[in-house]
Amino acid sequence: MKFSVPIFDVKNLSFVVKEQTVLSSISLEIFPSEYIAIIGPNGGGKTTLVRMLLGLEKPTSGEVKIYGKKLSQFKEWYKIGYVPQRASLVDSSFPATVLDIVNMGRTSQRTLFSTLSKSDRTFVHDAMQKMDILDLADKMVGTLSGGQRQRVMIARALASNPKILILDEPNTGVDAASQKKFYALLRELNKKDGITIVFITHDIGVIADDIARLFTINQKAIICNNPKQTLSCEEMSSLYGIDAHLLHNHRHEH
Amino acid sequence: MIEMFEYDFMQRAFIAGIIIAILASISGTFVVLRRYSLMGETLAHSALLGVAVGLVAEFNPLWSAVLFALFAAWLIEYLRSAFSLYSDAVLSILLSGSLASAVIIVSLGGAFNNSLFSYLFGSILAVSSDDIMVIAVFGAISLFLLLLFSKEFYFIAYDEEVAKTSGIKVNILNFLLVSVVAIIIALSIRVVGSLLVSALMIIPTVAALRFRVGFLKTVLISLVIALLSVFSGMTLSFHFSLPSGATIVLCVLFIFILSLVINKK
Repeated sequence: MKFSVPIFDVKNLSFVVKEQTVLSSISLEIFPSEYIAIIGPNGGGKTTLVRMLLGLEKPTSGEVKIYGKKLSQFKEWYKIGYVPQRASLVDSSFPATVLDIVNMGRTSQRTLFSTLSKSDRTFVHDAMQKMDILDLADKMVGTLSGGQRQRVMIARALASNPKILILDEPNTGVDAASQKKFYALLRELNKKDGITIVFITHDIGVIADDIARLFTINQKAIICNNPKQTLSCEEMSSLYGIDAHLLHNHRHEH
Repeated sequence: MIEMFEYDFMQRAFIAGIIIAILASISGTFVVLRRYSLMGETLAHSALLGVAVGLVAEFNPLWSAVLFALFAAWLIEYLRSAFSLYSDAVLSILLSGSLASAVIIVSLGGAFNNSLFSYLFGSILAVSSDDIMVIAVFGAISLFLLLLFSKEFYFIAYDEEVAKTSGIKVNILNFLLVSVVAIIIALSIRVVGSLLVSALMIIPTVAALRFRVGFLKTVLISLVIALLSVFSGMTLSFHFSLPSGATIVLCVLFIFILSLVINKK
């Protein structure tokens, strides 16, 4: 790997809930400007892994370091933009305009009592421009379509001027045309702005050309450094917990 | 209408009422958005337990109301964060436990009747100069804290986890918000009464939400509704010798129904 200092350095991470192993001995690194896709079956631990990267869940064992620091010592959280799974499912009665939501992205960098500074406004404006939602600024977020909400949530994450963007299947309720635009946008953020992207998705085929590495997670992690290469039968078996040879042969018989 | 302001007790009641309307409506916005509505009810009854202790021990019950409500708020927040208990069940248990304890303490101490009745339903006649002092001082501190952290409270209300991952100290701010709400509720029971105080917190915000406008406008509409309700409620209470809390709550309910009619969608 050409980069030397990883943003995330995960070592032997395990997570056990009620004697059920969700993740087992995961070790991986994420480097600046990488575009990483995370795939795996539902319930395989993808979201749990991301939640542990962000300090939302405590691992049973193992360690996560971020910019070389333990999570508890890390202070520069504004460098991380997070768009969770349910991001586009907004409570329609919540009193927030699009601008209110994107402004939230500046909250942790504003001082007490301060109104938005000129630079805060610039970051908010730039994030909205990038997401093409400037004309929606005064619209109530509950009235937007799924695709528009998705862009608003990413604009909020971008408003903090992050170095890394973590997206957990933010496509829920989003139409196909908006998804295509969304993938193009992620590509641009990564290639043009150098933002590291960690993207949990099921649509691996669509973004295979964009990503640098692929993490497949099902309790354990398989790291694929050449995502265009098909996963081997052994890797598939390990990932989905079935015998991939049998599956392969079965398909040939038909 | 002017003549009612010739009475000292009405001047005091209006000063207290205006302060409480401001505090209840602003804090109420966060209470509703965080889905803490039932917690307001529980804190009000914990404050009543404080009142009972104050009445029996013969010191200003507002002080002990603030202390008991604060303690209850911390206990609720601790139980919610430390154990995965059914939080509405915890609130119900604390609510009935506080009310029962308050009634027993006051009965045993022989201070039942009018004193406790006025704290249950609110009384404009009963607001003393000392009460005004306590309401003004604690009210100013509460308002200061609410304004100081309003953008953080708003973010947490919208998405607690994303707020946490952006570096906001969510756990500390949750404790702070419930503490401020506890103080405001304790201060409000003098005028509105413990059985009705959470209505003044919740209903103006719910009515304001019907207008489907941004955050700042929602807070402002909620504030106007609370002020209107307190002003009209106290005026009616004075002219028709009605309990102030109940009259204020009926006024706020009337405005709420109006907001439903205006925003029929």
